[in-house]
Amino acid sequence: MRVAILGVGQTSYEREKGISLDELVFEATKNALEDSGLNLQEIESVVTAGSDGLDGRAISNMTVSGSCGAYLKDEVKVSDGGIYGLVLAYLRVASGLFGNSLVVSWTKSSEVSPDTVGNLSFDPLYLREAGINPITYSAIQVSLYKHITGARDEDAAKVVVKNRGNALKNPLSHLKRKPSVKEIKSSRFVSYPLREIHIPPESDGACALVISSERWLKTRKKTGQKYAWIRGIGWSLEGYYRDEKKELVKLSSLRKAAKTAYKMAGIKNPAKEIDTAEVSDITAYHEIMIYEALGFCGDSEGIELVRKGVTEIDGELPVNPSGGILSSNPIFASSLVRVAEAALQVMGKAGERQVKGVNTALAQGFTWSGTQGSCVVILDNRI
Amino acid sequence: MSKELLFISQHWNIEFNHAAGETASVFFRAIKERKEILGRRCPACKRVLLPPRSFCERCFVDTLEWVKVGKEGTIEAFTIVYEQFRGLPKPPYAIAYVLLDGASTAMVNFLKKVDLNNLQEALERIKIGARVKVVFKRKRRGRITDFWYELLHT
Amino acid sequence: MIQAGIIGIGQTRFVTRRDDVNLGELAREATIIALEDAGIEFRDIEAVVFSLALDALEGMENAERWCVEAVGGCKKPCIRVHMGGATGGSALHTGLFHILSGLFNCVLVVGAEKMGETQDAQSILNLIFDPVYEREVAINAINMCSFQAIRHMRKYGTTEYHMALVAVRSYKNALKNPYAHIKKEITVEDVLNSRVICYPIKLYDCCPRSTGACAVLVASSRFIKKLGKKRIAWISGIGSCTNSYFMGDRMDNSGLNDHADAEGLLIAAKKAYKMAGISDPKKEIDVAEIYAPFTSTELAAVEALGFCEKGESGICNEKGIFDMDGKLPVNPSGGVLTSNPISVTALVRVAEAALQVMGKAGERQVKGVKNAVATGEGGSLQFYTVTVLSKGI
Ligand SMILES: [Zn+2]
Repeated sequence: MRVAILGVGQTSYEREKGISLDELVFEATKNALEDSGLNLQEIESVVTAGSDGLDGRAISNMTVSGSCGAYLKDEVKVSDGGIYGLVLAYLRVASGLFGNSLVVSWTKSSEVSPDTVGNLSFDPLYLREAGINPITYSAIQVSLYKHITGARDEDAAKVVVKNRGNALKNPLSHLKRKPSVKEIKSSRFVSYPLREIHIPPESDGACALVISSERWLKTRKKTGQKYAWIRGIGWSLEGYYRDEKKELVKLSSLRKAAKTAYKMAGIKNPAKEIDTAEVSDITAYHEIMIYEALGFCGDSEGIELVRKGVTEIDGELPVNPSGGILSSNPIFASSLVRVAEAALQVMGKAGERQVKGVNTALAQGFTWSGTQGSCVVILDNRI
Repeated sequence: MSKELLFISQHWNIEFNHAAGETASVFFRAIKERKEILGRRCPACKRVLLPPRSFCERCFVDTLEWVKVGKEGTIEAFTIVYEQFRGLPKPPYAIAYVLLDGASTAMVNFLKKVDLNNLQEALERIKIGARVKVVFKRKRRGRITDFWYELLHT
Repeated sequence: MIQAGIIGIGQTRFVTRRDDVNLGELAREATIIALEDAGIEFRDIEAVVFSLALDALEGMENAERWCVEAVGGCKKPCIRVHMGGATGGSALHTGLFHILSGLFNCVLVVGAEKMGETQDAQSILNLIFDPVYEREVAINAINMCSFQAIRHMRKYGTTEYHMALVAVRSYKNALKNPYAHIKKEITVEDVLNSRVICYPIKLYDCCPRSTGACAVLVASSRFIKKLGKKRIAWISGIGSCTNSYFMGDRMDNSGLNDHADAEGLLIAAKKAYKMAGISDPKKEIDVAEIYAPFTSTELAAVEALGFCEKGESGICNEKGIFDMDGKLPVNPSGGVLTSNPISVTALVRVAEAALQVMGKAGERQVKGVKNAVATGEGGSLQFYTVTVLSKGI
C-alpha cells in the first residue's frame, strides 16, 4: 500500500522554550494538522516517539497524549528517535488497518542534562562506569574514523560552516550564526577529537507529521496539495558492543537500512538519483561517515565530497539544507525533523532553504546515544 | 573459582527542571499570592479544566478564559495509604480527588486533619460525596502542596 | 489478503528475581522456547519488536539495544514500543502491522522484565504522574487503582468481598500454571483480613513484582502454509485506546468516561470485536486473559469487555461465571494478580490466550476455545489494548 506524508508541523527550536512539555507538543501537532488540511476528528492513529529519561516522566507519552491529539484514539509510543515513530506509523497505515496517522516527537533538552541520561543508556556492567555517554562514544568513533580515512579538523569545520550557514535560511533554527573558520579552530575540545562546535546544541522543540494511505486519500476531496510519497523505508539495529575494530565506524545498521530502502524505492545509484538529503549530523564528522554508508561515495571518500563542495546547498547533492542537527537539536525529535525537512523539499515548501528541482529526497536518523540503529526513508513527489 | 553471583549497585541521579509554562505559572501564582484557585474554560465544550491547561484535549483548541472556582467542593475519589513506599511519604495519609464548586474536573491533593489510625472510623467520615474545603499553607512556594483539603462540618 | 497468526510461544517461569542472567539472557530463554515451539530457527526471524516498559525499572535507558544479539535481532529491523503496562499488547499489535504491511513474514515479539533489581518500584511509578500538578501528592500505580475501585464501589455497590472473590479465583487458577509466580491457595477471609495497602486495596488485591520473559512469534498466512503448521492462534481483531492523562478529568459526573469504568477498554474492545466479527462477546468469547494488576481492575474490565452489564461484575463473580468451570473463564493462567513482569505482562496475556486457542494450555486448558480475548492496560488506567485470537479466520 502506498503511503504519503501530507503535512508537516514544527515548533521553532530554541535553547529554552518557556512552555510546558504538553504545550510544546500541542503546538507541533496543531501545525501538522493545519499543514495537512486534516482535522483531528479524521485522524485514526497517533504514533509518539520520545524518551522517558530526557522527559523526566517514567511513561512520557502519558503526559502528551492529549496534546498529540490521542484522546480516545489508538495511540502507541516508540521509545526511540522520531524517525522510528514514522516507521511504526508507516507500518500501521501500510497494514491497511488505519487510513492515516499522526507521528509526533519531542524533547525539552533545557529541563535536563542529556549527557547524564545518555550515560544511563550504556550498560551498567561494562560501559556505564567507563565514562561512556553519547559524546564520548561519538569521539571514540571519530578518532578511529580519522585514523582510517585521514579526515582532518578542516573537513569537520567545513561541514559546520555549511550546515550553520544553511541554518540562516531556516526560520526555525536554534543556532542562527555562521561561525568563522578561526572560531572553529579555537573551539575547545569537549572530548578529543571533538570540539564543542563539532557537536550539536541542545534544543527544545517538537515535530509532527501527518501521513496517509493512497486509498484513504482517494476518499477525500482533491485539494491539489503536493504530497511526499514514501518510496522506500528501511531500519536496522546492529550488535551492542561492536567490538571488532572497524565495526565501530562502519555504521553497519545504516548501510543495511539504506540497502533496504534503496531496493524498495528502486534506487540503484543514490548519488545520482537522490536530489537532496537530510541526515543525522550528530557530530560534524558523522555527517561525512554517513555519506559513505549511504553510498553517496565510496568508503573513505566522504572527505572528497566535503572538499569539493558536493554537499553544499548549491552543490550536486545538497545535504542538510535545513542546517541539520548541528544547528537545531531537539534530541529525540531531531530524526523526525530530518523526515519533515526532506518532505518539505519534495513538496517544494521549504521556503528560502528550498533546493531547486527536488523530486527525490532522503532522510536518515539514528537511535539515540551511539549509532547502533539507523533508519533511512526515501521520499518523492511523483504520483 | 567460586560460583558466587555478583551485583553491580547503581543509583540514578538525574536532576530535572520542568517548565510549568505560562498557564500553570498563573495558577500557582494565584495560589501563592492571593489564595485563589483558577481553572481554565474551554471555549468549545465549556468545561472548566482544573488543574488548568492551556488547551482542551477533547476539542483541540486553546483555552483562554480564567475562571475562579470555589474553595469548597465534593470528594469524587479517595484512598487512605497505610503502606510505606520507599521515597514516598510516611503513612498513613489520605489522598482525594475533589470537584471544586464551579470546576468541571476533579483535582487531586492530600486530605488532612482526619484521624486515619482506625480505618473504619476514618471511613465513617471520608466518603465520596463528602464536602471539603481548601486550606492554604501559611508559607506558600507556588506548588501543588501549598494547599490541601479538609472535611467540612467536622 | 494477508492474515497473521501466532505460531510459537515462549515464557519463562515468573519469579521474584533472577540473579543468574542479565536482561538479554532472560529474553533469550523465552525466544528459544518460542522458536522450538514454532519449529523455526533464529534465521527465520525477519524483524523484532521489543516489548519493554519503564527504563527506570530496568535501570537502563533503551535496554532493548543491549538485548539485540541475545534475541537474534542483529542487523535486522528492530523497534521498541512502550506503553507502560499495555506495552505487550501494543508490541503484539506492532508485530501484526509488520506482517499486514506485506514487508515481513515472520516477526519476533519479545521482552523481559527484571524489576526485581530495584526496591523503588512505587516511587518510580510515582514518576509517571505530572510533575507540576500531581506528582507531589504521592500518587502511584497502586493508589491510582484505589481511586477507580472506590468509585466503582460507590457507583455500583461493589464490595471488598467481590474483590476478594477475584483474588481467590486467580490464586486457584495459578496453581495449575507452571509459569505462575505466586502459587498458594487463599480464602476470601485471607484476602479480607490482609493488611490495607491503599484503601480499598489490600495486600491480596495486589499483584506481585515479577521477573521473567515472554516471546511470541507472529507469521503471515503464507509463511504458516509453507511451514505446514496446523495449531495457529489467528489474530482476528485488535483495538487500542488512549484516555485522558488526568484521572480527575474522568470524574466530572457527566456519566460519560467515568473513572469507575474502564471506558478506554470499552472503546478498544468494540473496535477489536468489530474487526473479528464478534457481535455478542458474552456468547462468542470462550476465554479471556485480562490485564488486571488489582482485583478491582478486573471488575471494571469484564464490564467494559461486555461480559456483563456495567455494575454487575460483583454479582457475576458471586455466581462463578468467570470461574474455570463457569460460562466465561477469566484468567485461567492466574492472571496478573499472580505474575506481573510489567514489560511483558500484556504479552503474556496474549500468549496465554493463544495457548487456549491452540489447545496447548495444559492443565489450565478451557475446553473448546474458538475465540479468546487478551487485554493490556497502562498509564493512569489510560492506555488499553485488546486482541482477539481465533481458531479459524
Ligand atoms: Zn473542550
